[in-house]
Amino acid sequence: MVGIAFDCLSNPLGAVRVTFEKAIASGIDPTNLNGKDWGALDVFRDCLFDQGALSQVPILDHSSIGWIQPNSLVRFRGMVQDMLGNEFYVGAFKDGSTWRTNKFTDIASFPMGSQSETRIWERQLLYCVPVPGQNSWTIQHSSESMFNRCNKWTSQHGEKRQRDDEMVIDYMVPQESQGSTSSSKKMREGEFTGQSPQLHESFNDEMSAKVSVLTSFDSNRLPCLVKVYDSPESDLKLNDVLEFVGVFTFDPVLSVQADGSEDVSNELFEDALSHLPPNKVPRLHCLIHRKLANHDFLLSSPAIERAPNLVRETREALVGHLTTILGNDGLAAECVLLHLLSRVHGRVDSVALGKLSLNLTGFTRESLTVFGSQLNHAIQTLLPFTKSIPFTVEYLNTASLAPQKDYEKNRLVTSALQLAEGTHVTIDETQLQEGMLNATGVENVTLLKNLMELQKVEYDFNYYKLEMPTDVQLLILSEGKSNILPADLVLPIQPTVVGSSLNCASEAQQAWRWYLATLRSSAHDIDPDMQKIIEDDLVAARQEDRSLGSNDFSRWLTMGRLVSASFGETRLTLEHWQMVKELERRRKERLNEMRK
Amino acid sequence: MQPQLQPALKSRRRRRRRTGTPIGTPTSTDDIQASSEGGDDQEEGEEAPPVYVWGTNISVQDVNASILRFLRHFREDPLHDEGKYMRALHHIFEVEGESLDVDAQDVYDYDIDLYTKMVRYPLEVLAIFDLVLLDMAARMNPMFEKHIQVRTFNLRSSISMRNLNPSDIEKMVSVKGMIIRCSSIIPEIREAVFKCLVCGYLSDHVIVDRGRISEPKRCGRQECLAQNSMTLVHNRCKFADKQIIRLQETPDEIPEGGTPHTVSLVMHDRLVDSGKPGDRVEVTGIYRAMTVRVGPTQRTIKSLFKTYVDCLHLKKNDTSRMDAEDPMEFDDGSGNVDKDTSPEYQEKLEQLKELAKQPDIYDKLTRSLAPNIWELDDVKRGLLCQLFGGNALKLPSGATFRGDINILLVGDPGTSKSQLLQYIHKLAPRGIYTSGRGSSAVGLTAYVTKDPETGETVLESGALVLSDRGICCIDEFDKMSENARSMLHEVMEQQTVSIAKAGIIASLNARTSVLACANPSGSRYNPRLSVIDNIHLPPTLLSRFDLIYLMLDKADEHMDRRLAKHIVALHFENPETVQQDVLDIPTLTAYLSYARRHIRPKLSDEAAEELIRRYVEMRRRGNFPGSSKKVEKPDVAEAFRLLEVALQQSATDHATGTIDMDLITTGVSASERMRRENLLSAARNIIMEKMQLGGPSTRTLELLEELKKQSSAEVHLTDLRNALSTLASEGFIVVQGDTIKRI
Repeated sequence: MVGIAFDCLSNPLGAVRVTFEKAIASGIDPTNLNGKDWGALDVFRDCLFDQGALSQVPILDHSSIGWIQPNSLVRFRGMVQDMLGNEFYVGAFKDGSTWRTNKFTDIASFPMGSQSETRIWERQLLYCVPVPGQNSWTIQHSSESMFNRCNKWTSQHGEKRQRDDEMVIDYMVPQESQGSTSSSKKMREGEFTGQSPQLHESFNDEMSAKVSVLTSFDSNRLPCLVKVYDSPESDLKLNDVLEFVGVFTFDPVLSVQADGSEDVSNELFEDALSHLPPNKVPRLHCLIHRKLANHDFLLSSPAIERAPNLVRETREALVGHLTTILGNDGLAAECVLLHLLSRVHGRVDSVALGKLSLNLTGFTRESLTVFGSQLNHAIQTLLPFTKSIPFTVEYLNTASLAPQKDYEKNRLVTSALQLAEGTHVTIDETQLQEGMLNATGVENVTLLKNLMELQKVEYDFNYYKLEMPTDVQLLILSEGKSNILPADLVLPIQPTVVGSSLNCASEAQQAWRWYLATLRSSAHDIDPDMQKIIEDDLVAARQEDRSLGSNDFSRWLTMGRLVSASFGETRLTLEHWQMVKELERRRKERLNEMRK
Repeated sequence: MQPQLQPALKSRRRRRRRTGTPIGTPTSTDDIQASSEGGDDQEEGEEAPPVYVWGTNISVQDVNASILRFLRHFREDPLHDEGKYMRALHHIFEVEGESLDVDAQDVYDYDIDLYTKMVRYPLEVLAIFDLVLLDMAARMNPMFEKHIQVRTFNLRSSISMRNLNPSDIEKMVSVKGMIIRCSSIIPEIREAVFKCLVCGYLSDHVIVDRGRISEPKRCGRQECLAQNSMTLVHNRCKFADKQIIRLQETPDEIPEGGTPHTVSLVMHDRLVDSGKPGDRVEVTGIYRAMTVRVGPTQRTIKSLFKTYVDCLHLKKNDTSRMDAEDPMEFDDGSGNVDKDTSPEYQEKLEQLKELAKQPDIYDKLTRSLAPNIWELDDVKRGLLCQLFGGNALKLPSGATFRGDINILLVGDPGTSKSQLLQYIHKLAPRGIYTSGRGSSAVGLTAYVTKDPETGETVLESGALVLSDRGICCIDEFDKMSENARSMLHEVMEQQTVSIAKAGIIASLNARTSVLACANPSGSRYNPRLSVIDNIHLPPTLLSRFDLIYLMLDKADEHMDRRLAKHIVALHFENPETVQQDVLDIPTLTAYLSYARRHIRPKLSDEAAEELIRRYVEMRRRGNFPGSSKKVEKPDVAEAFRLLEVALQQSATDHATGTIDMDLITTGVSASERMRRENLLSAARNIIMEKMQLGGPSTRTLELLEELKKQSSAEVHLTDLRNALSTLASEGFIVVQGDTIKRI
C-alpha cells in the first residue's frame, strides 16, 4: 500500500492509468463510460482520507508554485469566483487496440492517431481565487518538510542532475524513482520509452520556461483554473469555498496559444480561457473536492469537545476581551458577540432568517481611531474572512460594488461584494461627508441596502440582473444611527475607559476562534412550551407598545437563538430568553438616554 | 449552366466522402453549408447502388424517397388539393427566395421515422433534403437557378443550454436563450479564383475543402506552366456572409447559485444579422464540436473541443414574462386558443385545468399570494382580482369601459403595504414600480424631448404608458405632488395618455391597473375622521379607485397572537413546513397568464339577477337621511367588474361565483360611520341633559339603558365605549373604569 500511496501523491496520473487499465481488464466498456468514474477516485479517497495522506499533499499558492512539479498532486483552497461552463475533451481513445484515457490531464499521454476511435467526455471549468478577505492566520503554508520531500523524490532519481538551478526539475523523475516493484510501473516505463527522445528533451526546456514565466504570477493572490470531473453541476455553486485535491498541470505549449495570432473568425469562439493563460493561472484537474466551512480554516483545531463549562468559560473570556476593546462597555460586547455568531439559517420568500447586522453608533473621528481600529483588529484575528468597506461619497461614486459580467472576455468581473459565505464586513460610516451621489453611487447604496435587508447581491449581467443569496455579517460604525443602511441592531457605545493594552495569549485566541467557528454552525430548536411563552411575551409586548413590528420580533427571536447558541446549547431556555429581554431593555434605555 | 455543373459534381463527391466519416468525429465548419449549396440530378442518385449513412442502416435512397413523399403530400388540411410545402415552393419561385422553412412538427406528424433520422443524423438527412429540393426546383421551374436551402424549426423538444452534452454532438438541437454578442459580418470564402502572374491565366473556381483552399502549385495553361505563380484574385472570388453570435441562458433557467452558460452560434447568409443583442430567441441548429488548434505541435490537437451550434433557423421570442395579450383583441371569440401543441405545454395546461377544478382554488390562490404576509385575506383577494383583470367592454357607440381595476391601500405604517406592492410587481406580467415621492407628472405619463442630433421631437413614455396591460405600482401615493396626481385622472378612467405639446399631439394607450398605497394624512388612521379626510386625496381621484382598503393596525390581541405565532414559527420551524399548500410563483404566474388569456367568463342570468338584487339592497341601505354617500351607477359597474374577475379566478365559464360584498368597503363604512356619529351625538345629548358639570358620576350601563330607550336602533356596549372615549378625548367627560364624570 505504501507504493500506491506514494504513487497517488507523486504520480497521480500514473495511478489513474493503472486503475483505468484495471477497469478495462475487468470488462468495463469505455464506450459507455461517458466520463464516469471507474474506481480511480476510491483509490485516492482511500489514500488521502483513510490513510491520512492528505496532510502530505502540498498546498498550491504563490510561494509553493515555484517548486511544485507539474503532474503531481496538490491542494488548492479557494472560492469559486466564476464558472466558465463545460469543456469537451477526448476522454478515451483507442491507441492501436488498447483504450487510453485523457481524464485528469490536458495533454494526451500517448500520441493519438487521427483515425483512432475516440470518445468525447465533458468536464466543468471553475475559476477559483483565494477567498476574498482571508486573514493571514488562516493561510496554511506548505511546510518546509514537504518542500524537502519533493526534492527528495527528485534526488532519488538515478541520473543525479546537477541542481545549480533547483527549479529545473526533471519531469521524468517521479516515474523512474519508484523502482520497479509493481508490474504496472514497468508497463509505464515501457510506454514512456516509446515516446521520442526529443520529447524528453523538450520537457527540460519547458521546465526552464516555467521558471521564467513564474514571475508573471500575481505575487499574493494566486487564482486557479479548476477542472472538475464527476460532479453534478448543481453541486458546486458560485462563491462556494472549497478545497480541491487534484493534479497540477503545467503545459507551456498551451500558453503559446495566448500570444499566437488567432483566426479572425475565432474571435467569439475564443472564450474566457484565452484571457487566462496558463502562465498566469495554473490548471488543476480536480480529483476530489470538499466544501469548507469556517472551522476548516482553524489551523490547529484545539481538541476541545463541546463541554458546557468549557464553552461557558470561553464565552466569558471572549466577552471580557471584547469589553476591554470597547472601553469597558459590556452591553456592546454582548451585542458584538451575538453579531459575530449570526448566520443566515433559512430563507422564507425574501426574508433572510438569522442575520443580525449591528450598527454601533456614537463614534467620533477620535474615538474611532481608538475603539474602531481595535475592534477591527480583534475581528480580524477572530474570524477567517473579513473585509472593510470605506463608506465615502467618493468611493461610492467610483467603485463598482456589484460583480459584473464582461462579455468581451466572457468573464465575471469580481467586485467588493462578491464574498464567500460567512464573511464579516465592516462599513465605516464616520468618514461619510456631505456630497452628491451620482448614478453609480445611488446604485451602490441600493446594493448595500439590499445586502443588509435581504442578504442578497444583484449581479449585473448587463441584459438582466441576477440575485445571488449571500450570508455576510455586517457591522456599521457611525456617529448617529445610520439611516442609509438600516441595521437590525442599533447600539450607541459608551466607552468609559480609554483602551488598555491588548495582549492576549495565542492559546486564548485559538480557543476563541474555535468557539466562534463551531458555535456559529450549531443547530437550534425550541420546545413547544417555550414557544408558547415567547408568543405570550410577544403579544404582551405589542399590547404595551404598538410601534413594535414584525422586524422587532424577528430580531428578538434571532437574538434568542444566538444567546443560547453562545452558551453552546441547542435549545432556547427561559433563562436565555430572559437575557434577551434584559439586553433589549438595556439597549432601549441607552437609546432613550442618547435621545435626550 | 455549364460552369455550374462542375462545382455541383465536386460538392457531390465531397458529400460522399463525408458520409463516410464516422459520426461523432467533428468536421470543419463549412460542411453543412457545402451540403446545402450542392446539387445533383436525381436520376444519378437512383442508379447508384444503395448508399448507407456510415455506421447506420439509413439508406440514402430511402430517405430521399420519404422526403419527396413528405414534400409532395403533406397537407395541413385534407381539403387542400396541393400540399403545404408545394405551395411554399411555388411561393419561393415567385419571390426568388432562397430557403424553405420546414416545420419539424409537420415532419413528425407525417413520418415519425424521417423525423427521428433528421434529428439524429441532421448533416446527412439535410444534405439529402437539399438535393431533393434542388431536383424538384429543376423540374418544376427550370428557369430557377438559386439553391433552395431547407431550414427546419419547431423541434418537438428544446434542450436547455446547460444540458447540452457530448451525446448531442452532430444532432439537431433547439436551444432558447438571449443573444449577448454579435460579431461583425465575416466574409467567408466559398470559391476562389487564381491568376497567373506570368501569363495572366485565370484558374477555374477552386472550392473550399474542409475550410482550406489549396493554391495551385503551377499555372494551368499548357504554354506557361510557371511554378508558384498563382495569386488570389479577390474580387472574382465568391464569399458568403458569416456571423458568430453568443447566446446566453435566460435568467429563469439558471439554477440558484449558478452563473449563466453561453453557447456560440454560427449564422450563415440570410440568417446573418437576424438577431441583435438583447433578443430572446429560440434557435434550431446542429450542435457541433471543433478541434482546438493548439500551437504547432500535433500533440495537443484533438484533445479539446470548442462547441457551437450551426444555426438553421432562428425564431425571436417575445420578452415578456407572461405575454398578456390585449383583451380587446379577443372580441371575436377564442379563435387562436391553444395553438401551441408541444407536449410540455399541453401537460402544463392540464395541470392548470386540474388546479382550477379544485374546490378551494379561490382560497388557495389567496393563500399563495404573498404567503409570508400574514392575514389580510380580503386585501389579497382584491389584489388577485386586479391580477386577473376583467374584460374591457366596447360599446357600439365607441365608448369603452375599462376592464382593469384600480386599488388603493391606505393604512398605518408597518402594515406591510410596501411588501404587498413589491410582491405584486414581481408577479405582474408587466409593470413599473415607482415611488410617489420621486415621480413627476411627466415621468408617470409621457414627455416630449428633442433629439439632440436630428432636432426632431421625440415622445418618451413614462411609467404608466410603459406598464400598458400591466400593473403600475405607486408607493407613497400621498407624498406625490398635486400636479403629478392630477395627471392620473385621465389614465385611470380613460386608460389613455393624451399629449399636446409643440409638434406632437398624441394619445397613447395606458391600459394599466394602478395599485397605489398611501399613509393616512396624520400618519396614523384617525377613526373619528372620514376616509376621505384620512387619506387626504381629492375625491375626484379617489373615485377612480375601485377598491380602497383600509389596513388598520388595530390593537387586537388575537391579531397580535397570530403575528407572534407566525414569527415564532418562521424562526424555529423548518421553513418548508411553515408555508404548506401554496402554489409556487411560476405556477401562479402561469395560472394567471392562462386565465388572462383564455378565460372570458360570461355573467349568467342568475348571477345578474343576484347582482341587481344586491345593488338594490345596497341602495336602500345607503338611503338614509343625511347621507351624502349613495350607491351610484358606477358602483354597480364596479360590482360587475368584480364579479367578472371573480368568475375568471375559478377559471371555469358560467361558474356561479358569489361576490364578496365585504370588498366594497366604502359604502358600508360610510353608513357605519353615520351610525357612530348618531350614537355619539345621542350620548352627548344624554350627558348634557342628565349630568351636571362636576356632578356625581354615572355608570356606563346606566347610560346604555338610557340610550336604548331613546334610539330605535340597537346599541352595543362596545359602540358606546368607543363613543365615550371620543367624548373623553374632546375633554367633555372623564372616563374612569366603568364610571363617567362630566367636566
